[in-house]
Amino acid sequence: MPTDIGSFLIQLFSGLSRSMMLFLVASGLSLIFGVMNILNFAHASLWLLGGYLTFSLYQAFCSACGQHGLLLLLAIVVATLFMFAVGWLIERVLIRRMYARELPEQLLLTFALILIISDLIKLIWGVQNRRIFLPIEPVEALGAYINPYLFVVIGCGFGVAAGLWFFLHRTRYGKIVRAAVHSREMVGALGIRIPTIYAGVFALGVAIAAFSAGVFLPIVPIGLGLDMDLIVQCFAVVVIGGFGSILGTFVASLIVGIVYSFSVLIWPGGALAIIFLILVTVLILRPWGLFGTEMRF
Amino acid sequence: MNRKGGRANFPTIRKKGTVMSGDEKKDWGRRIEIMSRGVSRRDFIVTSIAAGVLTMVPRFAGAQAGEPYRIGVLLPTTGSGANYSERPIKILPLVAAQINARGGFLGKHPIELYFRDTQTKPDVGAREARSLILNDKVKTIIGTWSSAVAMAVQEIIHEHKVLHLTATSNSSKIVHENFTPYTFMFGPDTRMQSGATVVAVARLIKEKGWKKYATIGLDYEWGRDAQKVFVENLKAASPGTELMKELWAKLGETDFTSYITAVMSLKPDFLFGAIAGKDNETFLQQAKAAGLFKSVSYPGVFLPVTELMQQRQTLPRGIIGLNRCPFFAHMDNAIMQNYVKIYQEKFGKDDYPDDFACMYADSLNALDQAVTKASTVETEAIRKALTGATVDTCRGKLPLRDCNNQLDAPSYVGEVVDTPDYPFPIFNPKTMIMVQGHEVWVPTCDEVRRLQKKRT
Amino acid sequence: MPTTTEKRASTEATERKGWFRALYGRAGLSASVLAVLVPVALLAPLVAGEFSTVVGVEILILGLFALSFNLIYGYMGQISFGQAAFFGLGAYATALVCRAFQASTGEIGYFQFFFALFLAIPVSALGALVVGFFLVRLTGIYFAILSLAFGELLFYLVFSWYGFTGGDDGIQGILSPPFFRNSINYYYFTLGVVAAAMVIIWRITQSPFGYTLRMLRDNQRRAAFVGINVRRAMLLNFVIAGVFAGIAGSLWAPFQRSVSPALLGWMQSGSPVFMTLIGGADFFAGPLVGSMIYTALNAYVTRYTVFWPLTIGSIILVIVLFFPGGILSIIDSRLSGSSRKAEEPGRSGSPELANDRAVK
Repeated sequence: MPTDIGSFLIQLFSGLSRSMMLFLVASGLSLIFGVMNILNFAHASLWLLGGYLTFSLYQAFCSACGQHGLLLLLAIVVATLFMFAVGWLIERVLIRRMYARELPEQLLLTFALILIISDLIKLIWGVQNRRIFLPIEPVEALGAYINPYLFVVIGCGFGVAAGLWFFLHRTRYGKIVRAAVHSREMVGALGIRIPTIYAGVFALGVAIAAFSAGVFLPIVPIGLGLDMDLIVQCFAVVVIGGFGSILGTFVASLIVGIVYSFSVLIWPGGALAIIFLILVTVLILRPWGLFGTEMRF
Repeated sequence: MNRKGGRANFPTIRKKGTVMSGDEKKDWGRRIEIMSRGVSRRDFIVTSIAAGVLTMVPRFAGAQAGEPYRIGVLLPTTGSGANYSERPIKILPLVAAQINARGGFLGKHPIELYFRDTQTKPDVGAREARSLILNDKVKTIIGTWSSAVAMAVQEIIHEHKVLHLTATSNSSKIVHENFTPYTFMFGPDTRMQSGATVVAVARLIKEKGWKKYATIGLDYEWGRDAQKVFVENLKAASPGTELMKELWAKLGETDFTSYITAVMSLKPDFLFGAIAGKDNETFLQQAKAAGLFKSVSYPGVFLPVTELMQQRQTLPRGIIGLNRCPFFAHMDNAIMQNYVKIYQEKFGKDDYPDDFACMYADSLNALDQAVTKASTVETEAIRKALTGATVDTCRGKLPLRDCNNQLDAPSYVGEVVDTPDYPFPIFNPKTMIMVQGHEVWVPTCDEVRRLQKKRT
Repeated sequence: MPTTTEKRASTEATERKGWFRALYGRAGLSASVLAVLVPVALLAPLVAGEFSTVVGVEILILGLFALSFNLIYGYMGQISFGQAAFFGLGAYATALVCRAFQASTGEIGYFQFFFALFLAIPVSALGALVVGFFLVRLTGIYFAILSLAFGELLFYLVFSWYGFTGGDDGIQGILSPPFFRNSINYYYFTLGVVAAAMVIIWRITQSPFGYTLRMLRDNQRRAAFVGINVRRAMLLNFVIAGVFAGIAGSLWAPFQRSVSPALLGWMQSGSPVFMTLIGGADFFAGPLVGSMIYTALNAYVTRYTVFWPLTIGSIILVIVLFFPGGILSIIDSRLSGSSRKAEEPGRSGSPELANDRAVK
């Protein structure tokens, strides 16, 4: 354990940034499952696709206008909108047919999507890893240095969480979505088109993932196979938090990220096991997750 | 998209003209067409899977003279290993083409390359090895990237008595515990690399008066092995230096921040890293942005030419790196000049063959030399000719150790700097050192044999 | 109105196909499919090349693995994403014992070899017992996710226990006795073991216990009311499935000559799920048919294209979208003339598993 308060706070800070990175990737998955009961195995692959797309857009903008950090913002916005459309398309063409099918079949379908998407990425971008370079200089704090970009990450994490909450609880569209979760028939009877809602939610989930991939680009190089590493962590966090609860995913991300951050020093070999130990403990003691509702399965 | 943009040019046996270039195109076009025709016949039969019966027309062995020599190439083309296997896959057909320009091995056995994806899974590697041996009748397999896959493949090649040339997958277990006389290693193994790091770091410790250090590694066999050998050897070379803490991250880690801040809180003099592949790049990028290198030295990081080229914008200059076969260390060597020339002819002036490409190219070259020495393409004779032989490589004339078929290959340690000669950083030519293989490998052949398990 | 000629033609057609349809009518689709497959399986190595024999061994072993999964899924209605843990435990048990016996001479005797294979049974049974104890308290998606988590924990255990399991390198050089090292001999050996296992599984599914499982699948609450100890039945089934997965694993180790921790991972756990779905979870032979298709795809597609993920992914996509319920389900609906809708709820009303027609 870091012995002085400065190191402790810094370790907490890095845990927080890890939590927000987890949340940003997993929130889309949680939203999609919470509303539509679809466990999208290909979520991390779509995340990766968003990352590559942002990278290419940024390269294109930079070659036209010279290198500038703000161009990354523009690239992220464009990529997010594009991936929103891609998500909408996937929902309409593929996911729509799976609502009446069982969970393993959904997983099989989305597993096929993983294969297809990763080969598409390879076809378009090749096998080389990609990264972008922003001149980030470390900042002095509490006797050591920290990466200032992490503030951006943490800010985005909280921003997305707040945005989702606001969307679901304060906007009319969001309230319709929540109502649809409780009763499709009722919402349909009110004349609101359920298929459109589902398509929108799926597209939103994918867009959030793509957004986060773009945000991570300055500090996380992307390459083939990254999706497989991420998807299991996403599942774990969604389950720990409880299905159907974005707040649950948020809290679970916080717990996992911060526990992981401190375990680095206390239990060095535990990197692989930590998240699954938390998962197993939660599932044994409280199977529906921290914030899940008991009836959901 | 232009080639330099990184689109992989995977040669397939069906595409005409991508295997070779030049005058041989027509001849090869004909050969490839013959192969493709044979393949599409099987294709039809194979698609009647419902019957479950697959009839294969056995190939009758033709006359010895003129029969092509088939080589399988087992490297990942999907997943994180693909990035480091791209250049070997690109250079091997070019080297084969040069040999075939003389008619092939012994002037009469043209080389045919068959590429398969290991998917970085040992079971898949074993199955593809079987497929290459049983279906495509390869006599030699070149590969792999992952050591676990290489060791699974070793079982198959040993059973079928097929030669196995390896370089990137370099766990010391491959030539010690899991040794088979059919495997030949053309680059330094993990023990030799860690030993080289110790040599460099011990020197720095003396210079700078370092007292304590920490290690960070990826928690899998290569990482554990590299770290263990380093720690043991460093204790022998510099007993006063204290190991404060070992940190272990999982493979595929995307966020090293917690590790970085943990290291900084420990305040060691230097940090040793057993991280490779894309995770290496992630770690370096995040460590630099988090200010790790301002307070802690990070000597001996594995930096193959692949990383030097790809991370040219982000790599911190001045750190001490290590690699296995950098082209810039041997531009006075005719073989290395040839590799660079044929590679750039096809892929452009901005791209260079990386460590893995050069080592695998050497392996094919060495095979050629062994066949010439044995005057036959018969496997046992080639194996005997290659065992204990001294081969001409892009790194000079180097011997293969006869008790474990390990090439006496040097490791290269140097400081990352920019030079006007290349658009990416290299190791400072003035201070780069080459740690010879025999300085840091298992000292005696007796010890080697004690480690090697019994095989039938 | 069909004319006499047409009627006679159709009767002839029925008679030509007669034995298959008759068998189908009497004993169900699985029996008919197996009746076709058995001679194919017996003769295949003699006509096909060595690689196809090798693929055949893979199909059989993974088919058994998928059958064990379907005991939990098709018959009991739960999804286990951690079956690979028991497959891997069986494989490692065999591997470690073989390695111990081989250490001094590099060879292994017949008795030692069979002992090594046998040891997979208690090891995987114990693993399944421990995991199942926690697992059977849950159902539905919670069962599924917890099984995944346990699978990953066991993977982690094997991955990190360097001294014992060799860590992520795995264990290499696992040899069977010389007679079995021949691909054809090993194939027939595997065929025998898998066939015997299938007979046992079949008997289990047709026993009262098997019908208890179906009841657990269809209505757990009613089962409890009738006095069935739900937990105990689920646990027993889970252990049985774990044992058969372990047997499959024990056959795998000498076949591949090596084991690695990936055998316990979630990707390996996905295989039996996919195979079962592709073949058809409603049929006893579904997992085996699924194994044929999935394994053959993986083994042969890579010879023809570098872009195997795109190819295999697209094929799976087509199967999931247009063959709901699996390949056998489509064949079944064609033969029985009824149309099967994709939205058909659950497994109840499925042609075989709950149907007396299949009892033989």
